Amino acid sequence: MIAYTIYLPQVKGLLKKWSMDLQVFVPTMVDDGFYEFKSWSDDIEISWDYDLCYTSLKKFVLPAQEDLISFDMKKYSAGAVIEAPKQLLFGVHPYDIKAMNQLDQLMDTDSVDVNYRARRDNTVVFGLERVHVADTAFWSGVEADRVDHGYDLYWTRISPGAFFVQVGSARGEEMLTMDGPVEKASVAQKEAARRSHLKVMAKAQKNTLNFDWSKTPDLVNKFFNNRTFWREKAKTCLSCGSCNLVCPTCYCFDIKEEADDLLQNGRRYRQWDGCMLSGFAEIAGGHNFRSSPWERYRHRYMRKGKYIFDKLGELGCVGCGRCVRACTARIANPRKIYNEIWEAIKNEV
Amino acid sequence: MKSKFSPYVPRPATLVAKKELNEFVTLFEFAQDSGKPLAHRPGQFIQVSVYGVGEAPFSVSSPPRTDHHHFEIAVRKIGSVTNALHALEVGNKIGIRGPYGSYFPMQKFVGQDFLFVAGGLGYIPIRSVLHYMLRHRDEFGRIILLVGTRNPGERIFTDQLAEISKRNDLEVFETVDVADDTWKGNVGVITTLFPKISINPETTSVATIGPPIMYRFVIQECSKLGIPQDRIYVSLERHMKCGLGKCGHCQINGINCCLDGPVFCYTEIAGLGEAL
Repeated sequence: MIAYTIYLPQVKGLLKKWSMDLQVFVPTMVDDGFYEFKSWSDDIEISWDYDLCYTSLKKFVLPAQEDLISFDMKKYSAGAVIEAPKQLLFGVHPYDIKAMNQLDQLMDTDSVDVNYRARRDNTVVFGLERVHVADTAFWSGVEADRVDHGYDLYWTRISPGAFFVQVGSARGEEMLTMDGPVEKASVAQKEAARRSHLKVMAKAQKNTLNFDWSKTPDLVNKFFNNRTFWREKAKTCLSCGSCNLVCPTCYCFDIKEEADDLLQNGRRYRQWDGCMLSGFAEIAGGHNFRSSPWERYRHRYMRKGKYIFDKLGELGCVGCGRCVRACTARIANPRKIYNEIWEAIKNEV
Repeated sequence: MKSKFSPYVPRPATLVAKKELNEFVTLFEFAQDSGKPLAHRPGQFIQVSVYGVGEAPFSVSSPPRTDHHHFEIAVRKIGSVTNALHALEVGNKIGIRGPYGSYFPMQKFVGQDFLFVAGGLGYIPIRSVLHYMLRHRDEFGRIILLVGTRNPGERIFTDQLAEISKRNDLEVFETVDVADDTWKGNVGVITTLFPKISINPETTSVATIGPPIMYRFVIQECSKLGIPQDRIYVSLERHMKCGLGKCGHCQINGINCCLDGPVFCYTEIAGLGEAL
């Protein structure tokens, strides 16, 4: 493992350098206790100890709205639109890196999503060790507490003025040293980073799954036909889709288009959609394959708990806790749902 | 930035003929501008674009052709894209992507008897399989076709059905749910045709396509006849938006109807709570 030690005053210089080549996004407080990734500028205060960004980072690789093609209605021709700005996400927590790794696999499977791939290739990810744990998070229970790939650099703050920076890619190392040579990390500094990780892990034990996460697919599958349970859980669901929107692993989209005023040219774009919205599984003629909120609610937990697992071998939930915060009816909580199912049938699995 | 390749870019095709099948359903014959055959297999679907309006998935209704770049879809006027299609005139263009999805495994049916059960617009994709078999008639055993429609006014491909009904190598049975004065045939849902047929369950395979409500009843009738589940094929309708297994709209439990379907052997979906 190659690692360096970077001191806080160096960071500003590097940020200036990096921002000349790509757009840099950093976590910052946007409201009392609310954090978001914002475009870096000299006067922005970076929240090194943020607990959770309200929205997920998928927007950087799968924007809420993204053009796919442009078309000419007179000539009836169309061409691909693939936009991929160079960007750096500086300060990404491991659960969000895991979510992005998952999107990478899902978007590359069967056929490569060229729009996603282009954006992802132009996105540099600098991970950041957490200091605080969001009260809704349970990433320690779903194996999203650490990642071994998906970042170019991984930063751990080991003292108020210093970071232990682990190299994840040649691109990352190059960026770190572009302002001149940097100090190789010592064994003691590596140990300090390890202790920092253990410290946050200890905090994270408060909220977790009561069972080994790998049992989740089996659990939810056995509970699929328990309509009483799903109906009860979803009875106040407003089908607003907030959980979908903030989820770092939800990537469903709709495809729409618009033409210009002269009906000559137009654009076709995709736009985030959500399986919790009422019309999501509707077909021509109005038949809806998941017409009730409880069916859509169940689908979401099945997807996170089983369907993604069947494809990738890991849970589709990274335990970030965003849906718990965003849910308008206060009923989205994968940790509670999966724990309840576990308590109900733990003797059967 | 314009790029070389994206699976979202449609290819142009031109409308060469248009035929009204009933008040709401029209058959469209398109020619690919590339001059190349569509190269679909029976049961597959394509994404059809009317620029400025949108894109929607349709089953190809014509059988595959290697010698010709024409293909047909039959469309019910029901939403924005389908209405825009109905407004097209011969010579107008559309965009297409695909063909996508699974298809009927024709090789498996060689030498077999075959039972088609088509409800309503389900006849449109069935037609692709049926006419493939009729073109290669000597490769298959008995072919029995059951067609059900809500009422006589909604029947489609009536001329073609009348034509093929005359063949002595094809057994055609038709019914309507609700009759009117013009209707002299069977009245009742499609399962009322089952008592009229006799098949050898050892050698018969089934393809059934129809409205969502129909499947479980037809499968039940097939089981009563002794046809094993692994010889019952269905094609399921979902709204595929991307056709590439990404957008999530066509998901049935954990599978994507656009990639794993739309054609399924019943055994593939028997355990899926959201399939039928």
